[in-house]
Amino acid sequence: MEHKNIIAVFDSDEKLVKAIGRLQESNIPIKDAYTPFPVHDVLRLLGRESRLPFFSVFAGAAAIALVLAFLYYTAVIDYPVNYGGKPYFAFPSFVVIIYLLTILLTFTTTVLVFHFRSGLYPGKDPEVVLPGTTDDKFVVALGGDEGMDAGMKKEADTILKESGALEIIEN
Amino acid sequence: MDTYNTSIRPALVRGNKDYRQVTGEIAGPAERSPAKWWYVAMTIATGALLFGLWAMYVTVVEGLGTWGLNNSVGWGWDIINFVWWIGIGHAGTAFTIFLIVFRAKWASSINRAAEAMTVFAVMNAGLFPALHLGRIWLIFFIFPYPNTRGPLWVNFNSPLFWDVFAITTYLLLSVTLWYFGMVPDLATMRDRATSKIKKGIYGFFSMGWVGSVKNWVRYEALAKILGGLAAPLVVSVHTIVALDFAVSVIPGWHTTILPPYFFVGAIFSGFAMVLTIMILIRKTFALTDFITRAHLDSICRVLIFGSMVLGLAYMTELFIAWYSGSEYEFFTFFRSRATGKYSVAFWIMVVCNAIIPQLLWFRKIRGSLGWMLVISIIINIGMWYERFVIMISSLAQDYLPSSWVSYSPTIVDIGIYVGTFGIFACGMLLFIRYIPMIAISEVKSLTRPERDDTKTGK
Repeated sequence: MEHKNIIAVFDSDEKLVKAIGRLQESNIPIKDAYTPFPVHDVLRLLGRESRLPFFSVFAGAAAIALVLAFLYYTAVIDYPVNYGGKPYFAFPSFVVIIYLLTILLTFTTTVLVFHFRSGLYPGKDPEVVLPGTTDDKFVVALGGDEGMDAGMKKEADTILKESGALEIIEN
Repeated sequence: MDTYNTSIRPALVRGNKDYRQVTGEIAGPAERSPAKWWYVAMTIATGALLFGLWAMYVTVVEGLGTWGLNNSVGWGWDIINFVWWIGIGHAGTAFTIFLIVFRAKWASSINRAAEAMTVFAVMNAGLFPALHLGRIWLIFFIFPYPNTRGPLWVNFNSPLFWDVFAITTYLLLSVTLWYFGMVPDLATMRDRATSKIKKGIYGFFSMGWVGSVKNWVRYEALAKILGGLAAPLVVSVHTIVALDFAVSVIPGWHTTILPPYFFVGAIFSGFAMVLTIMILIRKTFALTDFITRAHLDSICRVLIFGSMVLGLAYMTELFIAWYSGSEYEFFTFFRSRATGKYSVAFWIMVVCNAIIPQLLWFRKIRGSLGWMLVISIIINIGMWYERFVIMISSLAQDYLPSSWVSYSPTIVDIGIYVGTFGIFACGMLLFIRYIPMIAISEVKSLTRPERDDTKTGK
């Protein structure tokens, strides 16, 4: 693997946002950005959106159906118990269980899908770009040799320097 | 949304700090070796815990006869303490909802510690009904699974069973919220750690977090979903606890006001506990720039609101007991609680919950740490008495005077209660020792209110 990444380090989110804006204007592909806290302008500029909420809605709907079916099976089909002549299918009091189990199933499956999709799980080795990104450093990473020719590299270098990068590392 | 850049609400973080200072000041206490008082506190807490373990051992080995319960008072200290602890737990989740759903940024610096409190309080709460089963080794009977006993399913119509699911779900969700909220900060701790062991442990729990755009996007989506699910859950948990009482036909329990009244009481007692803990943390760890007077002031305002709602609920109960014309209710509320055998407990409850917190209307009292600390503790004493009044007065003197009894706890009852304090204190002490008490990444986004993305409201 010969290609090198270009990593520019900033000391504030404003500078990072400006740099990313200018890089995008010049059509320079950005690999990723690293920040100590969520900088929403960066998230917006890099145009990434999570589909996790759609999954959650789906999981919630599925959970409602599943729990209702389960309650119907246990209380009406498998082992009906006559509580003082009340209907076996006691929907009003099933609502509470459906409500609770929907929350339980939705959040557990959402967390599992989060682990699965994001690749984050306890014990994972971090691919630390720069230790300071969890403290006070804002970093933008460019593909370097990958997808960038010499002219683009030079342009990127100027933009990053002009936007106030503390240092530019190639590795 | 630059609401927080106004003179109405002062800066949420004082002292014009840069990001590195924020990290250093918050992570500091978890990196230094603890002070002498920490060891003293830990010793006392462990002592309480051991007392509790002894009491639980006695309960399990000898049975519920070691408790103060009798034929009429079937629910005693155990259920009082269960309701008390779970009520305290509600505040942590309330802060999470303030922060994630309502985007009340002032909750940022309180959220973490409040959630820790929730986790330990709900754990304690869960202990009591479990021990009350008597034969705790049969606890798996309450889970609905295909079994060899019929298969006999659980009674899905019973609030006692709803409770099982409410508390399990609540404990799991609050642990998840707490843990996921910590992940970026655990990564900070990992990157700052100097010893190999610490790096390894923080590294393990930080899930390979590096703060990339993908990390943050998914993380924020998850936080919103979990917060959104916690909101309906927290309302339902204490409602269901209230239904344990309200669906019975015991005078004093059989009232429709109970669910909202329990819920407000829960939030009220929880906020009081948060106030106690915040004052202590603020003082001992010199985090005054992050937990400002304005934060404490905000908690006090919520307490005034809760206190007034509770006062209204007490008055409503009394009014309805008279207005309904039900002689049993009238007896319970007026002859047993307000003037009779349990009048001392009743008036402690009214004074501590509805009257003393009204002092917080005064700016001077909201400005005095000592007063606030005292009032917050008084509120939790009052809330314990509220549950005592509800539980004992209704059970000890119900329809049939021939079955009226007195109730007093035994040393085993007291032991388990003290033990839960031990669990709570040990948990909180370990928390402040090893985990940043304030969400570092959240607070960093607050240090400069003039930043672009706070203006665009994103």
